[in-house]
Amino acid sequence: MCRCLAKMAASCKTCVRTALLDAFAFTRGALSSRVAVRTYASDSRDGEGMAHFGFQTVPEGEKAEKVYKVFESVAQKYDIMNDAMSLGVHRLWKDALLRIMNPLPGCRLLDVAGGTGDISFRFLEYVRTQQERLRRRAMRMHQTPSWQEIAASYTSEQATVLGGSRAVVCDINKEMLKVGRQRAKDLGCGTELSWVVGDAEELPFEDDQFDIYSIAFGIRNVTRIDKALQEAHRVLKPGGRFLCLEFSHVSNPVLSRIYDAYSFQLIPVMGEVIAGDWNSYQYLVESIRRFPDQETFSHMMEDAGFFSVRFTNLTAGVVAVHSGFKL
Amino acid sequence: MAILRGALRTIWFVRGICSVRAIGSGTLQGTRSRLQVIHHPALLHLQAASFFSSSSTHKRHQAHTPENFADHGSEQEAAEASGRPINRAEKEEEEQEQEEVYETEEELKKRILTAALEFIPEHGWSVEAIAAGAETLGLSPASAGIFTKGAGELVLHFVSKCNAQLVQLLEEQQRQVQLGQAGPKEKAEFLRDALQTRLRMLAPYMDSWPQALSTLLLPQNVPGSLKCLSTLVDDLWYYAGDRSTDMRWYSRRLTLTAVYSATELVMVQDSSPDFQDTWAFLDSRIQDMMDVACMAQRVRSTGESAVQGIMGAAITLKNLTGLNQRW
Repeated sequence: MCRCLAKMAASCKTCVRTALLDAFAFTRGALSSRVAVRTYASDSRDGEGMAHFGFQTVPEGEKAEKVYKVFESVAQKYDIMNDAMSLGVHRLWKDALLRIMNPLPGCRLLDVAGGTGDISFRFLEYVRTQQERLRRRAMRMHQTPSWQEIAASYTSEQATVLGGSRAVVCDINKEMLKVGRQRAKDLGCGTELSWVVGDAEELPFEDDQFDIYSIAFGIRNVTRIDKALQEAHRVLKPGGRFLCLEFSHVSNPVLSRIYDAYSFQLIPVMGEVIAGDWNSYQYLVESIRRFPDQETFSHMMEDAGFFSVRFTNLTAGVVAVHSGFKL
Repeated sequence: MAILRGALRTIWFVRGICSVRAIGSGTLQGTRSRLQVIHHPALLHLQAASFFSSSSTHKRHQAHTPENFADHGSEQEAAEASGRPINRAEKEEEEQEQEEVYETEEELKKRILTAALEFIPEHGWSVEAIAAGAETLGLSPASAGIFTKGAGELVLHFVSKCNAQLVQLLEEQQRQVQLGQAGPKEKAEFLRDALQTRLRMLAPYMDSWPQALSTLLLPQNVPGSLKCLSTLVDDLWYYAGDRSTDMRWYSRRLTLTAVYSATELVMVQDSSPDFQDTWAFLDSRIQDMMDVACMAQRVRSTGESAVQGIMGAAITLKNLTGLNQRW
């Protein structure tokens, strides 16, 4: 019994030691290659038909498949890993996104790369509280409604709990959607939430369908970001809002070094220990470094046809919320 | 004696301004009285600070933005203003006129805010009113997110619209006087009529005006609202015929601002038919303002003559005692 435990402890130790050594080797390699890599960060492609997959360069057709495999393997432990890697701060980031979005009852949300449905659940909760607040205010102003008004309020869409709001979660990966649907069932969500399999570069929706399009921590995994932005522009109604929550560039040099050290040395290790998948989390931190910085992404949004493009840095630039309107 | 009278007049004037609270206290509801107490002393304090930097009140202020919120759109708006248009053509218009309707983002924002003014009785001065206004223009309610300051932008838009209307009317009046079609007015009468015209523009929104005033006092809206107030008062004095270049420039504008704000507050809780009490209050305040100015002039001349008398007596005494001689 003790020998078994000792063997297990020994194997764990060697595993962690090799993991740490690998981490150091990788970071050293990564640091030296990062300087060369950053110069290409603004292009989404290196040459014809090639795309970034973390710090590797792969043919475009392969990238989507590789990303699919990454998320297929992490789907079950996705939420736990999010909490562990960001120390729970990702909840605050998503709450901040909802506050910036400020949806009103009656808005329709398309949550792309929504996976496990974090943004959609928050959206429905927000709209529910807003509707409560508006109803209470209306009741205070209309102290004695006539019987016609009461009857009309029973039938109107605005009388429903969400005021007619709907959320559609769209993701390319069926495993992530499965996890999300299970969560929805546990929470008891009804018809106001839909789950659709779709590719962000080719959405299975018609033009002018949604009031708000949001993509949280998903757009860096898309092979061609400009195509995804064009699709977003297409499915939004006139006046609709595009919101993107994504890891971004930390401009403060001290914080940047701490962040890089944390990303490259701790996150893959956590991935191995908790989820048993080193490579997926290595891809994660590399893809963050490959994503264009705040200003560049704003220019890309403007090129896709969005107006009034703004960004807000959260946590000193670790995460940024970009917002644009289709006018 | 003249000095004593001057001091008494000033005290009466200040008491007149402060009597706003006394008039109101009998008829106020709980929330409004709290608003009055917050608004009144704070506003006078802020006015004193703003008038001694007169050079900056007439320069264009950039809207105050929080530190980590980079407004990418502001450079774009400048580019829009300089001529890069947005295509806003609707399909029917395109077919009929065969030319596209262009407008800048600023103009679109103004149109949304003007449309939102209709919904203020229903929703108050809030983001819901802006969203309802956007819906009438065919835009999604999510486009209310374009306005980063929310309800504050709606109030500021309304206030600057009223000020622009007033300036147009005063220009028209001045032209008529120059053409000889109407006689020139006395300063007091002119100010009284102009202030009454300006305050009557608020009459349709009187029910929700306390909410608008409290919105204007929020820190992010204070620069904008102070700018509107100071340009209004400056325009009023200019068209009244003030061309002074000394301390009177400042004192006149300060007193008129105090009169305007006090009258606005009286109007908010005035329930007499056609605001008769408010106009009576306005008449007495303008009268006091003119009397104080007169009195200040007389005090100055009395003071000068008093000083001259004392100097003369002193020199005579010195002559008598022989101290004035030069040996």
